[in-house]
Amino acid sequence: MSHAFAMGDYGFYVWSAVAVFFIVLLIDTLAPLARRRRNLRELRARLARQENRRRPGTPPSNESDA
Amino acid sequence: MRPGSTSAACAALLRRDLTLAWRRRGDIALPVLYAVIVATLFPFALGPDPALLSRIAGGVVFVTVLLAILLSLDQLFRADIEDGSMEQLMLAPQPLALLVAMKILAHWITAALPLIVVAPLLAGMLRLPPEAMPVLVAALLLATPLLSLMGAVLVALTAGTRRSGMLLALMLLPLCVPVVIFAAGAVAAAQEGLPWIAPIAWLGAGLALALVLAPLACAAALRIAMDT
Amino acid sequence: MANWVPLWLHRLGSPPVFYRFAGAVRPWALGLALVLGAVALYGGLFVAPADYQQGDAYRIIFIHVPSAWMSLFIYGAMAVAAFIGLVWRIKIAETVAMESAPVGAAFTFITLVTGSLWGKPMWGTWWTWDARLTSELVLLFIYLGVIGLYHSFEDRRQGARAASFLVLVGAVNVPIVHFSVNWWNTLHQGSTVRLLGPSHIEASMLWPLLTMMAATKLYYIASLFARARADLVASESGKGWVRDLLAGRTGNDPA
Repeated sequence: MSHAFAMGDYGFYVWSAVAVFFIVLLIDTLAPLARRRRNLRELRARLARQENRRRPGTPPSNESDA
Repeated sequence: MRPGSTSAACAALLRRDLTLAWRRRGDIALPVLYAVIVATLFPFALGPDPALLSRIAGGVVFVTVLLAILLSLDQLFRADIEDGSMEQLMLAPQPLALLVAMKILAHWITAALPLIVVAPLLAGMLRLPPEAMPVLVAALLLATPLLSLMGAVLVALTAGTRRSGMLLALMLLPLCVPVVIFAAGAVAAAQEGLPWIAPIAWLGAGLALALVLAPLACAAALRIAMDT
Repeated sequence: MANWVPLWLHRLGSPPVFYRFAGAVRPWALGLALVLGAVALYGGLFVAPADYQQGDAYRIIFIHVPSAWMSLFIYGAMAVAAFIGLVWRIKIAETVAMESAPVGAAFTFITLVTGSLWGKPMWGTWWTWDARLTSELVLLFIYLGVIGLYHSFEDRRQGARAASFLVLVGAVNVPIVHFSVNWWNTLHQGSTVRLLGPSHIEASMLWPLLTMMAATKLYYIASLFARARADLVASESGKGWVRDLLAGRTGNDPA
C-alpha cells in the first residue's frame, strides 16, 4: 500500500496537487457559511437595537450578544 | 454646421477638451516624462550591452507606452464627473457614444500622440535597428488608439467608485495582452527580417472593431456606473 | 414543453423562493460532489494504470483538467447570468453572476498551481509560458478584476451591474487572448509539450476524469448556492422575509 502512495518518484507533486485542490475548495466552502452566519448575526443585532429604541425602558443590549 | 447639430456638438466638445488640455500643458508632459524615465532605467538595470538592449527595445517601448497611457487614463472622465458636466453630456440630445468618442479622441491626441513622437527616440536610445523604426511607429499608431478606446470603457465602469488606479491596471491587463503581443510581435518580426504585415493587420482589424464597439460600450458603461 | 417549467423559473427569480430552494439543494449537491470526487480520486490515483511516458505524475490530470474545464465553464455560466441580469434586471441573476466569480477564481488558481506542480517533473520548471497556462493566468486576472470592480462600489447592485458588464467584455476578450497567445507562442517557439497527456485515453483513465468533472460541477452548484444565500441575507436585510427568517417563523432554517 505504501508503494501505491509513493506514486513512483512523483509522490510529492501528486499529493501536493491533491492537497491544494482540497485546501482551496475547503476555504471556498467554509467562507460563505461564515459570511452568512455573520450577516445574520449583525442583522439580528440591528433589529434588537431598533426594538430597544422603540421601548426605551429596557436596558440597551450589547451588540455582539444579540 | 448648424448650431445644435450632432457634428457641431462633437466639434465643440473636441475643441473644449483640447483647449482645457492646452491650458494645463504641464499635465501633457507628465506621461512623456514618465515614459522617458522608465525607458532610461532599463539599461541601468540590465547593463549597456547593445545586443541585449536592441533585442528588448521594442518590447520595452511598448510596455512603457502602455504604462504611461494607463497613468493618464485615470483622468479621462474624472474632471467631467466631478464638476457635473458628464451629467450634462448624458442628458444631451446627441448620442452619448459619439460625444464619448470625441472625449477619447481628445485624450488620444493629448496623451498618446506625444508618446508616439518620443517613442522612436526612446527606441533609438535602446539601440533598436533603424529599419524596424517605421514598423514601430506604425504599430504604435494602431495600438495606442486601441488602448485608449479599451481603457475608456474600463474607466467608464469605475466612474462611480472612489480612487481606482490599481483596479484599472488589473482590469486593463487582460484586455491589452493581445495588443502588446501583436504590436511587439510586429517590431520583433521586422527586426529579424521576417514579414511583419500580419500582426499589423490584426492590430488594424482590432482597431476597426474597437472604433465601432468601444464608444457604444463606453456610453453603456457610463450609464451603468453613473446610475444613482 | 409543459408550461410549469417557465413558471417555476419565474418563481425562482424571487429571492425568498431562491433562498429556500438553494438551502434545500445545497447539502445534496455537496454530498454527491464529495462521494463522486472520492470515487474519482480513488479510480484516478490507485486504480488507473501509470502512464508509460509520464509514470505516476500524470495522475495530476484528474485534478488539473477538471479544474481547467470548470474555470471556463464557470466563466460561461457567469457570462450568461450577467447578460440576463443586465438585460432583464433580475436580481437573482446578478447575485448568481457575482457569486460565481470567486468560485471560478478558485478553480483557475487550482488549475495554475496543479499545472505548475505537473510541469516541474515533466518540463523541469515550475512555470513555462505555454499558451494554455498563459491564457489561464489571464483568465485569473479577469476574475480578479470582476471581483475587485464589484467590491469597489458602495452600492452593491450598481457594483453588480458594472461588474456584469465587465464579465461580458471579458467574454469577448477571452477567445481573442487565447488566439493571440497561441500566435505569440508559435512566433517565439516556446515549449510545445502537450499538457493533455496521451491523445488516446484508455477507459480506465477516462471514467475517473468524467466522474471528477461531474463532481466539480456539483461542487460549483453547492458553493454558488451557499454564496448566494449569504449574499441574499445581507442585500435583502430590509425585507420582511429575512425578518421572518430571523424570528424563526419559517421554522425549518436555523441560522
